[in-house]
Amino acid sequence: MSTDSAAVEGRIVASGLTKVFGQIKAVDGLSFTVEPGSVTGFLGPNGAGKTTTLRMILGLAAATSGTGTISGVTYAQLPHPGRTVGAVLEATSFHPGRSARNHLRVFCAAAGLPDKRADEVLEWVGLTQAATYSVRGFSLGMRQRLALATALLGNPRVLLLDEPANGLDPEGIAWLRGLLRHFADVDGRTVLVSSHVLSEVEQTVDRVVIIAKGRLIYEGRLADLEGASAGVVVRSPTLDQLRAALAPLHVTITSRLDGSVAVVGATPEAIGRAAWEARVELHELRAGSSSLEETFLRLTADPTGTLEASA
Amino acid sequence: MIALLRSEWRKVTTIKLGWGMLLGAMALAALGVVAQIASNGTPGTGVPPLSDPETQKSIAASASSAYLFSVVVGIILITTEFRHFTSRPTFLLEPRRGLVIAAKAVITAGVGLLYGIACVVVSLAITVPWLSAKGVHVDWVANGLVVVMVGALFVVAIFAVVGLGVGVLFRNQVAAVISALTYLFVVEPLVAIVPVVREGYRYLPGGAAAALTGAARVQTTLLPNWQGGLLLLGWGLLFAFLGWILTVSRDIP
Repeated sequence: MSTDSAAVEGRIVASGLTKVFGQIKAVDGLSFTVEPGSVTGFLGPNGAGKTTTLRMILGLAAATSGTGTISGVTYAQLPHPGRTVGAVLEATSFHPGRSARNHLRVFCAAAGLPDKRADEVLEWVGLTQAATYSVRGFSLGMRQRLALATALLGNPRVLLLDEPANGLDPEGIAWLRGLLRHFADVDGRTVLVSSHVLSEVEQTVDRVVIIAKGRLIYEGRLADLEGASAGVVVRSPTLDQLRAALAPLHVTITSRLDGSVAVVGATPEAIGRAAWEARVELHELRAGSSSLEETFLRLTADPTGTLEASA
Repeated sequence: MIALLRSEWRKVTTIKLGWGMLLGAMALAALGVVAQIASNGTPGTGVPPLSDPETQKSIAASASSAYLFSVVVGIILITTEFRHFTSRPTFLLEPRRGLVIAAKAVITAGVGLLYGIACVVVSLAITVPWLSAKGVHVDWVANGLVVVMVGALFVVAIFAVVGLGVGVLFRNQVAAVISALTYLFVVEPLVAIVPVVREGYRYLPGGAAAALTGAARVQTTLLPNWQGGLLLLGWGLLFAFLGWILTVSRDIP
């Protein structure tokens, strides 16, 4: 990824970000780039270092080494941070006794925004009816919406959202998907969405940054992740003969839980031809696009298996 | 800075924190006044009569007991931010953390001042009619009672800022409140009576506050009134500095 024009408006660049807590490297030399006009998924299992990374980029936590920049400068150097970046770090940043509207007005005041902005964003996220209720009684889904409303107060061109789909019902996830796509496609904003569940953001994101144990595992287009690693699912009653038939292709064959195998390193066409030529009976032969979640889990479970983006 | 002050003030007024604490502070101040006036004249206590300026000062200083509440309020106002993570949007909207803490300190001191005013009003509302009913003449200015009451306001406001510093240090609300109250209820009173360290009491926050309000409840020498006030201001600034330096140097949770 080129960094020669890191100062692009709205671009987020992490460069060698490292955070050490005592003996533990929570984030370890993490570098990636998030482009404006796209939705980027920031993926990794719980405890992978996603929130810590976001906190460093947002200037809430000091990096042990490395830098995080937005539009070419650190968060603290942004002229109007509240109007440039909207961020949600887990949907917990509310005093339970404060009403939704008062919560937003507290931060309207801090950002120098008019109070009516609070009602505008409440309407955006569909919380107008609940504006005067204490956050204490809010469901997790409502808290997510209020957190998003807080991030949107300053009409920012960069959005960093930590697990925004967590606790949303399917309808809410669909709504969030539409909103994020609109921000990126129509408004040209930068949207970075973290999640520990790939399927949650799979249909929303253009690109993904996958980390595990604080290290970068994969950065690139989601489609390339599939092509590069998902492999081909093959089912055969005579697996030994299949292995022999595929040996000349130099593929990697791994067993799947359902008794089939995943073949990485060859197209379905090549595998089918090899099997047919060796007269191996096949019961299933398909590109493993549905195993994206498996790929994600396998990648993040074994951080040594770093995968290069083919893009 | 105006924006931050407005934001911090809204944080105070949009939660129901204050009322219970405020009522508690007013009740304690009232209790101090009532106990001193009611018990006065009981044989064997050795307390000068109500007409004595020293007794009147001691009654007027009752409002300063609100510092026990204002220190807790100062702790709560900051630790509630860490507890509920409202610190995050706060420092995202204003990354210059020193400014945020300065605004917080001003508002916290203001809340402390309001507590002090409420307690002074309560103690006056009891003292004035009661003493006039007893036929005791009170000269508020000549006897230095006004100075005592202004001192009490100052003490209550400064202790709120002390609470802010303690809150930033501990971050955990329960730990901060317990530590502060243990210090004020146990450590300082012990220092005031233990022979060797007794002389140091006058330099502690409580000792400086006692010097300022002239509420001589201890067996050791206190500083002159104005020196106590300056020293207390110094303690307040020290804790505000503590809050500032820890906030700018540590990660925001």
